[in-house]
Amino acid sequence: MTSIVRDQWYVAAYGREIGSGPDREVFGRTICGESILFWRREDGVVTAMSDRCVHRRFPLSEKPSHLVGDTVVCGYHGFTYGADGTCVAVPGQTRVPRTARLKTYPVVEQDGFVWVFIGADEKAQSVPVPRAPWLDQEGYTTVSGMEPLAARASLLVDNLMDLSHETYLHGGYIGTPEVANTPITTEVDEDAQVVYVSRHMDDADCPPFYANSTGIQGRIVRWQDIEFHPPCLYLLHSRVAPVGVLPAEDGTDPGGFHVEVVYAITPETEHSTHDFWAVARDFALDDQGVSDYLAESNRTVVLQDVHALDALERVLAGEPDGYQELSINIDTGGLAARRIIAAQAAAGAERVPDSPAALSR
Amino acid sequence: MTPTPTRVLDGDRVTRVAWLPGNDRLVGECSCGATAEAGDPIHLQDWLLAHPDHPATVVEPDQETVEHVPPPHRVLHPWQAAGERRAVT
Repeated sequence: MTSIVRDQWYVAAYGREIGSGPDREVFGRTICGESILFWRREDGVVTAMSDRCVHRRFPLSEKPSHLVGDTVVCGYHGFTYGADGTCVAVPGQTRVPRTARLKTYPVVEQDGFVWVFIGADEKAQSVPVPRAPWLDQEGYTTVSGMEPLAARASLLVDNLMDLSHETYLHGGYIGTPEVANTPITTEVDEDAQVVYVSRHMDDADCPPFYANSTGIQGRIVRWQDIEFHPPCLYLLHSRVAPVGVLPAEDGTDPGGFHVEVVYAITPETEHSTHDFWAVARDFALDDQGVSDYLAESNRTVVLQDVHALDALERVLAGEPDGYQELSINIDTGGLAARRIIAAQAAAGAERVPDSPAALSR
Repeated sequence: MTPTPTRVLDGDRVTRVAWLPGNDRLVGECSCGATAEAGDPIHLQDWLLAHPDHPATVVEPDQETVEHVPPPHRVLHPWQAAGERRAVT
């Protein structure tokens, strides 16, 4: 049985990865076990279709396959496909076989991401695309990247839903003793399919990630509010401020520094994952030094996770069924996420979230 | 003092698990208003999912009488072996 949830939108790429204008070119990526070709039409709209020529299965993302106008030409024998996946030309004859057609995929470009719908196409319209608006919004500056993970997606979900691991795996970067030592509150909206985990630290060490980006000296108030939209989109609303500085009663928060940490957890295969990460901040917006620091630091943290989860995958991949885990209080949010994902995997997209959009802070 | 994390989700079917400050106990609250205390998140989740037929209390793992025998971790492939695989001279 597959562990991949179908009938869902997944992040396939950053918009910047798929060339536009004079840099238009084909782009291939495997999403949920399906090899997909992405390219932009001449009007800039992204299109997605199967990355295998119907003739001899040559990957259309492989050179010398190339774009000509709003068609893609197979680099092996020249089969040519339109943006709707229909083969419009084959070599040496005028008749194009009726079955010469590629599967196409619903695609949406939003918030800097290219989302692709994996499942029954007719369900795409009824499943809203999750939002991460800060990544492409005035008032925020964003750094982002993606790291390939040689581990199943569920391991990254577990990792991100329990941030107590920051204390141990990411000490000296984003982890301090207070993270693991502070209790959490977990909420689950069964209808909207959202898991929300809050950890509010009153008086905590300021890790280098925040000290060097905000300039705060001394101890901090540190809030971590996780908003997970299973199966793909993870939002961490992070607020730091000097100790004692809290939002005003009217909800404004001029003394706080806000960082929206976004992860898109996209299965590549059953045992590998695309780990998209982005960090959007509402301070030092034009400071390239801060951008460079946050990009390098967050990538370092992501690579620490990658190293750990790759090792864990190697252990789990050949392990006989039946090993029992042990869960404690810190796992409450992760357990809820697992339960929802398991239900989604079983039910496909029969359920439709009422409001999958990101919650306002 | 930072306020305790407030209720964020406001749907009709929201469950909530709060970790009681100062100890290891969890308090679960169902959307129907029923509450229960537990020392383990899995058993508390089971209790929440039993809605609307919540048991009177959460079965605590410490109350279970089955003796636990830790299993060995079995390794099936060389690339899963612990430590570096190298000759010793």
